[in-house]
Amino acid sequence: MPSSSPTSSSNTPREVAIALRGVTIGYDRPIVEGIDLDIYAGEIMFIGGGSGCGKTTLLSNMTALRKPFAGSITIAGTDVATADDEAIARVRRRFGVMYQLGALFGGKTLLENVRLPLEEFTDLSDRAMDDIARAKLGLVGLGAHAHKEPSEISGGMQKRAAIARALALDPPIIFLDEPSAGLDPVTSADLDALIVALNRMLGTTFVIISHELASIYAIGHRFAMLDGARKRLVALGTPAELRDSSPDLWVRNFLNRVPTAET
Amino acid sequence: MATVRVEPASSGGGVRVSIEGDLIADSIGGARETLENALPAKSSGVGAIELDLAKCTELDASGVSLAVFLYRLAKSRGTEFRVVGADGDRKLLVDLALRGQDPVAPPPPIGLVRQVGSASIDVAASVVDLVRFIGELSIVSMQVARNPRLLRVRDTIAGMSRHGTDAVPVVSLLGLLIGTIIAFQTFDPMAKYGAKLQVADVVAISIVRELGPLITAIILAGRSGSAFAAEIGTMKVTQELDALRTFGIDAVRFLVIPRILAVVLVTPLLSVYATLLGVAGGFLILGPEGFTLAQYLDEVRGALDIGDFLQGLAKAAVFALLVGAIGCLAGMRTGQGPGAVGLSTTRAVVAGIVAIVVADAVLGSFFYALGI
Repeated sequence: MPSSSPTSSSNTPREVAIALRGVTIGYDRPIVEGIDLDIYAGEIMFIGGGSGCGKTTLLSNMTALRKPFAGSITIAGTDVATADDEAIARVRRRFGVMYQLGALFGGKTLLENVRLPLEEFTDLSDRAMDDIARAKLGLVGLGAHAHKEPSEISGGMQKRAAIARALALDPPIIFLDEPSAGLDPVTSADLDALIVALNRMLGTTFVIISHELASIYAIGHRFAMLDGARKRLVALGTPAELRDSSPDLWVRNFLNRVPTAET
Repeated sequence: MATVRVEPASSGGGVRVSIEGDLIADSIGGARETLENALPAKSSGVGAIELDLAKCTELDASGVSLAVFLYRLAKSRGTEFRVVGADGDRKLLVDLALRGQDPVAPPPPIGLVRQVGSASIDVAASVVDLVRFIGELSIVSMQVARNPRLLRVRDTIAGMSRHGTDAVPVVSLLGLLIGTIIAFQTFDPMAKYGAKLQVADVVAISIVRELGPLITAIILAGRSGSAFAAEIGTMKVTQELDALRTFGIDAVRFLVIPRILAVVLVTPLLSVYATLLGVAGGFLILGPEGFTLAQYLDEVRGALDIGDFLQGLAKAAVFALLVGAIGCLAGMRTGQGPGAVGLSTTRAVVAGIVAIVVADAVLGSFFYALGI
């Protein structure tokens, strides 16, 4: 299985934002076992695989919504797999999450949605929180829609608003769950461009759960592939490398969109 | 830490805000406070506002909110806003954050007359909607009556089980307790007049004519009315109602008629059951006072006639029709968004209970006028 070099071109070890060691995930039984994966600070990492391979389950484990059957998941020095509630509450402020359907709070305007984490975790004045929320909405192109409620905007706009909310506390890590699901190609490309711009401007690490090949090739620095049948991480590398020269035929077929009938 | 310096501009009467240090999430609070305190004194109010980021060592997505604040201030004064000392990614960050940030004037307040007018139109529209629904329901009911094969029998029977047999435990408890409470509350006043046994009359008449059907219907509104609104409302939100329409299936026949028929059939039975338990509850108070069951039942029999039972049954059926129709209508009129189903459910329960009480008053007067 090819892997990316852990060091930069100057041979300085890169900072690891999220470290997974021996992680086994599942619900009533394991779906994927023994995941070893380092996600580096500032990279755009895609995690994907076939339907039902466990990628969303892995996201739930990394965001401390579920505990793995085994292994450790270290974020900002805390193992979220074993830490107590207080430690997890502290580390939750180090990452933001954009859920597949946005999960914006209905009945609240976009401004109020983005303000909510600031209200809960900062002592800033109302005016300061308003302007910070406006700035985040402006970054995702929704500055003029701050007064609208989620039901008044399109699906693509809801996803962008959800990214703005995930950015509310300026976390170094953002998780996105299937950001392109249900979007047309142009809107999906706009979202990709936004992710790249935020990654470059803010140095934010993006962990994107997706099997949207167009996005993976366009903006992914690395791609980690899960296989539900073999119950393990089967590939890790740059998307182009894996597509062209992965030793695993299943991986190459997946990344080249070869239908099952032909394999 | 960020140091904020506010100076009058060298010309034009504006103000220059210079940032030195890190303007990030941790320092934005203090920087903002310094700026808000210094700005009124140094700003003439008519010249341009300039933000100088040349000495700003770090800028993040929270720190850039200072630019948003100054931009909106400038726009509200009708003056220009400029950023200097920023290029490349930093300039991009500022430009993106300022997108769409022009202050929007608040809408003018709505006067009382307009509010009253608006509310009246909403009420009138709701009444029209209700009449339309009643009409649609009547037409479909007649179609099903003429052609019983149109009735979804399996759904109706399933509804009778869910809203009938499954409601027996709660109806049992409340029916028994209501009878007990009435007997308990009337015992002492009646005892003063030496009419302890006549408590049975009070319990029997109030339970059989009024409280048996009323309590059953209120339970129905809370259990079944809300369920109808939630089920059909969720179907509306997830576009299942649209799917039915595109298949050419009438949602009223498919969803509403089975539900209403189920509750209209089981509610009178539940009401009779609640009534029996309510009357039995009265004996829980009189029995320990030395009255035998035979005495109690004799007194109950003497207080009631067949008209009382028929009244109770008729009320139960009417209440069930109202609760079922209101619950289904609330579901079909569910709006958009996650709060919409909750709102429909609340409306179904509240409107159902109000309708029950109003109908009870109307029917009571009607039966009284008929001498029943």
